[in-house]
Amino acid sequence: MATQPKIEVGSDYKEKYGFFVPEDYVFKAKRGLNPEIVKEISFMKGEPEWMTKFRLRSLEIFRKKPMPNWGADLSVIDFENIFYYLRASEKQSKSWEDLPPDIKATYDRLGVPEAERKFLAGVSAQYESEVVYHSLQENLTKKGVIFLDTDSALREHPDLFKEYFGTVIPPADNKFSALNSAVWSGGSFIYVPKGVHVEVPLQAYFRINAENMGQFERTLIICDEDSYVHYIEGCTAPIYTTDSLHSAVVEIIVKKNARCRYTTIQNWSTNVFNLVTKRAMAYQDATMEWVDGNLGSQITMKYPSVYLMEPGAKGDVLSIAFAGKGQHQDAGGKMIHVAPNTTSTITSKSISKAGGRTSYRGHIKIYPGANNCKSFVKCDALLLDDESRSDTYPYNDVDAENVTLGHEATVSKVSDEQLFYLMSRGIPRAEAETMIVNGFIEPFTKELPLEYAVELNRLIQLEMEGSVG
Amino acid sequence: MGITAETLDQLQGEPGWLRERRESALSAYGRLPLPSKTDEEWRRTDVSRLDPSQFSRLEHLDGQKLVLPEALPEGVILEPLRVAAERHRDLIEPRLFSLVHADRDRFTALHAALFTGGTFLYVPDGVVIDKPIIGQHFSHESGTGVLPHTLIVAGKGAKFHYLDEYIAEHDDETGYRSGSTEIFLGEGAQVGYVAVQKWGRNVWHFSDQRAELQKDSTLRLFNVTLGGSFSKTRVEASLVGEGSNAELKAIYFASGDQFFDFHTLQDHRVGNTRSDLLFKGALQDVSRTVYAGLIKIAKHAARSDAYQANRNLVLSDKAKATSIPMLEIDNNDVRCTHGATVGPVDPEHLFYLRSRGIPEPTAKRMLIQGFFGDVLDRIPFEHARRLVEAELESRIG
Repeated sequence: MATQPKIEVGSDYKEKYGFFVPEDYVFKAKRGLNPEIVKEISFMKGEPEWMTKFRLRSLEIFRKKPMPNWGADLSVIDFENIFYYLRASEKQSKSWEDLPPDIKATYDRLGVPEAERKFLAGVSAQYESEVVYHSLQENLTKKGVIFLDTDSALREHPDLFKEYFGTVIPPADNKFSALNSAVWSGGSFIYVPKGVHVEVPLQAYFRINAENMGQFERTLIICDEDSYVHYIEGCTAPIYTTDSLHSAVVEIIVKKNARCRYTTIQNWSTNVFNLVTKRAMAYQDATMEWVDGNLGSQITMKYPSVYLMEPGAKGDVLSIAFAGKGQHQDAGGKMIHVAPNTTSTITSKSISKAGGRTSYRGHIKIYPGANNCKSFVKCDALLLDDESRSDTYPYNDVDAENVTLGHEATVSKVSDEQLFYLMSRGIPRAEAETMIVNGFIEPFTKELPLEYAVELNRLIQLEMEGSVG
Repeated sequence: MGITAETLDQLQGEPGWLRERRESALSAYGRLPLPSKTDEEWRRTDVSRLDPSQFSRLEHLDGQKLVLPEALPEGVILEPLRVAAERHRDLIEPRLFSLVHADRDRFTALHAALFTGGTFLYVPDGVVIDKPIIGQHFSHESGTGVLPHTLIVAGKGAKFHYLDEYIAEHDDETGYRSGSTEIFLGEGAQVGYVAVQKWGRNVWHFSDQRAELQKDSTLRLFNVTLGGSFSKTRVEASLVGEGSNAELKAIYFASGDQFFDFHTLQDHRVGNTRSDLLFKGALQDVSRTVYAGLIKIAKHAARSDAYQANRNLVLSDKAKATSIPMLEIDNNDVRCTHGATVGPVDPEHLFYLRSRGIPEPTAKRMLIQGFFGDVLDRIPFEHARRLVEAELESRIG
């Protein structure tokens, strides 16, 4: 816990905003959490008063909320021993040489370009897609799309921001959303105007210079009526960070007839506690799709959810989890049917290896009056050896009429017959196993953009060889 | 009148060891808190309105009516449990409440403290009984407590069928009912066990059925839940011997404002074990049901096969079924599947039948019968099957 965080948030104000912090004014990153630190964060960012108050109120809530007593074991987190905000200069102390060898090896094997590697490893905040980014940004601006980091959005579009911020996930939702609300920094802000279809998937990647992968990032996406956007967060290559706690909040509003797809591929290094709250509100005839891949981290607790607020809304969660040695992936999805005639599906695929543990935890809630809803949940788990563990905990609450609800789950190993078939054709065992695993998660991979799918396949291959920590 | 040592005084003529057991269970009852809504198991199951002490007058002290095959084979013991406690202490003392623990919660404690009638069945090694043994437990009065307990011990290779019937004399009686069963299956034993719960519509009912299966034994358990305004049933099987096989099936039919809760456990402690669970229920009117089941496969229980399914047919707009099938799998060399469905009668099926001129009520009845059909076929013996079919027929009506 007490390690020094290195990927930091809010570091490059000077370059970006011409906001100069005098050298003699030392904003010492203090450990721990108190109202003074929260006020300082807000001051450093030059935020309006309402946001400062919001943060302070959230801190109060965070203090009052008990730790969740279910799911993964979180008792080792020491909130008083975490840096909640850091300044630029501390970042430069880190160099390529400091990276653990297994992370470097993975970059090699994945064929990640040097510049990108450094970016991923938090050594450099620069990434060479700047040109691409600029032309994309121009194109978007023409259509009226806003795509900014969340801090800039608060500055540049204060009214729009205030209207939606914190409305989907209030600070009091859970302990970690309260923490995020108190100390958030970075993340993406997207607004898609009425009728606009954004053809190119938007990636946090493109938004260079901004704090993409902060510890307490905060993302807000608003899809106005009849619009479409696909947002991609993270990447398949392992993200090295010495921060031990990653607690993001993602809020999405999908208005009438709009569609939003949110793809996450996260591969945190295995010292990270990844505790994320993701929720979308889908209105009339809107579609919300979460495509969620969890590979790294020590513990992940993440249940992307969709609140189906008006008739005709549709929610979809497609998630995979891979747990290796010492990892616990407690992932799943939530579908809250508030309105009648809404539909949802959750598909979960999990793989456990070398003593790893994957848990599916889901909740389907159908409120009184939300009649004629349909919901289907399917969970498949693959256990690769006899040390690993898989659990399924689906919670279903149906309080409405004429509801059709289904849940199916299977747990199995790589079948001997499949292995035999491949090996009889001269394919070595390890390779055959990898093929079977890749086949198992294929429904997920085929939803990814090509370059991600290729990388994910390669990564699974590495994980299967046991060559990656 | 509360539940005190005086309540126990209604149960005279028992050996000292049993009295001591009851006293310790009674103190557990006093000590254990009432389950609250924050316990996952009780989150949807509300017992806050229940005060067992108003039913502290116990009924049915002399056991039950036993319907026996004409002659029991040599060595078979079939006696009221309280009588057997005196005569066969060596067989009963180590087993009684060793599967259904008295201190699990307030209601198991109450059951262990106050169990009234019930049966002890001991079938020695290698003995086969062809005809089913039937224990009928009656309640005659309103406002009483009736708490029969069945203890079954099957020796190596023993083979027999047993039926517990819980019957109310008056369908509208109130009271506290608790019918629990412990089954021990020795190596290679084959036991068919059926429990049919038809208590009155206004009673509180708690039941724990738990079996322990040794090597190569087979249990076919079938539970039928029809009565009670509140009924909570746990069905649990511990597979402790390789090659053991537990088949756990149940049907329930809830109507009016009945509330049924089922918790099941398929506990695979060793490898090469098999369990197959299917709970099917239909709900009418404003009834509610909760099903929560867990398959647990221990670390070394390789080559185990487990199946778990809960299917709910919701026949009314106001009825609610909750289904929570869970898995905890600690070994990869297993096959596990589970599934749950909640839904109304398929409109296409209904349309198909109606298009052939079958009136809607008849078509609906046929579909309900069809829904239960595959599980009724799994009732382990003929007598019970006829009984359950007739019972169901009258309710679907």
